Amino acid sequence: MNRLVLRWVPTALATAVIASVAIAVPVAANAAVDLPAKTPQQVLELVGQSSVKDFSGTVEQSSKLGLPALPMTGTGANSSASSALSVLAGSYTARVYVDGATRTRFQIMDKLAERDVVKNGSDVWLYDSSAKTATHSTLPASTHDGSVPTPGTEQTPAQLAQRFLAAADSTTKVTVGADTRVAGRTAYDLILAPRASDTLISSVSIAVDSETGLPLSVGLFARGQHDPAFSLAFSSLSLQTPAANLFDFTPPAGVTVKQQTVPQSDLKKPTGSAPQHTVVGTGWDAVLVLPASTEITTLTSSPLFSELTNSVTGGRVLHTALVNVFFASDGRVLAGSVSPERLEAVASSR
Amino acid sequence: MSSDAVSEVASSVSRGRPSVGWALLGSEISVLFRRRRTWAMLAVLALVPILIAIAVRVTRSTPNGGRGPAFLDQVTQNGLFVGVVGVLISIPLFLPLTVGVVAGDSIAGEASAGTLRYLLIAPVGRVRLLIVKYLAAAVFCLAATLAVVVAGTLIGIALFPVGPATLLSGDVIGVPETLIRSLLVSVYVTISLLGLSAIGLFISTLTDVPVGAMAATIVLSVVSQVLDSIPQLDWLHPWLFTHYWLGVGDLLRQPISWDSFGSNSVLQAAYIVLFGALAYGRFSTKDVLS
Repeated sequence: MNRLVLRWVPTALATAVIASVAIAVPVAANAAVDLPAKTPQQVLELVGQSSVKDFSGTVEQSSKLGLPALPMTGTGANSSASSALSVLAGSYTARVYVDGATRTRFQIMDKLAERDVVKNGSDVWLYDSSAKTATHSTLPASTHDGSVPTPGTEQTPAQLAQRFLAAADSTTKVTVGADTRVAGRTAYDLILAPRASDTLISSVSIAVDSETGLPLSVGLFARGQHDPAFSLAFSSLSLQTPAANLFDFTPPAGVTVKQQTVPQSDLKKPTGSAPQHTVVGTGWDAVLVLPASTEITTLTSSPLFSELTNSVTGGRVLHTALVNVFFASDGRVLAGSVSPERLEAVASSR
Repeated sequence: MSSDAVSEVASSVSRGRPSVGWALLGSEISVLFRRRRTWAMLAVLALVPILIAIAVRVTRSTPNGGRGPAFLDQVTQNGLFVGVVGVLISIPLFLPLTVGVVAGDSIAGEASAGTLRYLLIAPVGRVRLLIVKYLAAAVFCLAATLAVVVAGTLIGIALFPVGPATLLSGDVIGVPETLIRSLLVSVYVTISLLGLSAIGLFISTLTDVPVGAMAATIVLSVVSQVLDSIPQLDWLHPWLFTHYWLGVGDLLRQPISWDSFGSNSVLQAAYIVLFGALAYGRFSTKDVLS
């Protein structure tokens, strides 16, 4: 009898050790942080005085927008439907290398593939390892100090945080939450919350490095959700200058090289050729109205579209945790972080 | 294990050699590599990159970008990565298949051949026998991976020009660095298979029917990969022993991303500890009837 019990002791021990390590590691990473208290204004000043110019790190973006998920198998992930959804869902791990304002490298690490954005001075290379394409563009001289012009993607938590902070006005309530730890660094949690109550977003949480003032993570919380619906955060960060040869990109042999000229106007408006849009309202519950166009018709005629949207009176609604998009039957598109009813009301009033 | 190995063990003990298990391990490995089945499996694995290389060479068409596994389209310019392509193709099925056969056979095979009894009559502790069986399976994991990588690299050098290789990041590395990366890939894949070997060893202690243990091990590796591709189960994914198998690609970036190498090693170690303990619990008091 004793022997029967004894023989399972190693199994019990192994289970206990594995379980305790699995529990202890996240607990240690989130161990309570106690920083000197700061007012929201002081944290904002800390961000403003941040002088971090060189760093490298790993960034993780994840979104739980409530869209249907398709299998993303190792080799089958390239099907058009699931790749379209992965763009919408936008979850990835990327490495970021920044050397001053002029040299950056951004590597999105897909499974057995990689997408790179290399910016060195006025040269910008976009490299896609699975499509075997390299696109070269030259920035106009005046925009050297600007951020890398990749349409639609915010690259580092710092850049995304700056955008939210710049937009914060009287409709926003700014508070400081409990001190946290991001990428092994202690941080203040700056919380931007809309004063209006009819938005889908309940708050935006920005973790600000207590030492350097660099925003380390940005999380968007939807009403009624505990986990962030969208988050962009460093999982590791080094404040050393990255190796210089990372920014020298020469397209490898066997790759289709495209030259692209960037007109000045495109840089100012990343959405470039999009049709003229109007914005109804201001602040968090503003509604964007796009007039009917051929691009929208192409989009709405795809079979995936009817899978993703729900039929309502007067059109179809794409519902996500943070944004609702109303495709009116007359071809207009209305989008905003508000309820579908408000979108319909705006559509019918104009 | 065949009878000559048993006699070898017995003789080493009778000669009074300090018995730390090395003799047993040596004989176990030599038995493993004296079997025709082992060599047949290694030959089939080596055939994978060889067939790929011949197919690409004969058709002489460069595969289009975006089709086929990564790196296949640069094989015509640089033969050194044929081994890596072969490994990427073998990871989901061929490698787990052969490892499942070896690990699943380890104890159940002896039991079904009626040699387990004799093995345990010789003064060989059951724990030591388990460890030796596991180490032999681990050696086979290395041999299987190297069979693919070495055969692929050699056939690549024979059929295609040798030159700088393009990594996933678009950076180009020279020939020596390419060989180092191929070796790192072999190490990564070998480590990836160690957890599966431990599972196979445990299943092998449950039954006297080796085919059952082999099939169960192989099925588990497939089930794990299927679960890993279902996004609704993403909380489970980091716990699946196949989760980091394709993370081997992180060694082919510039600079190398070691994150998945570390996570993979920790995960496989956890599987080895857990299933090793389970195998001990089952085997230490198992009634050996055959």
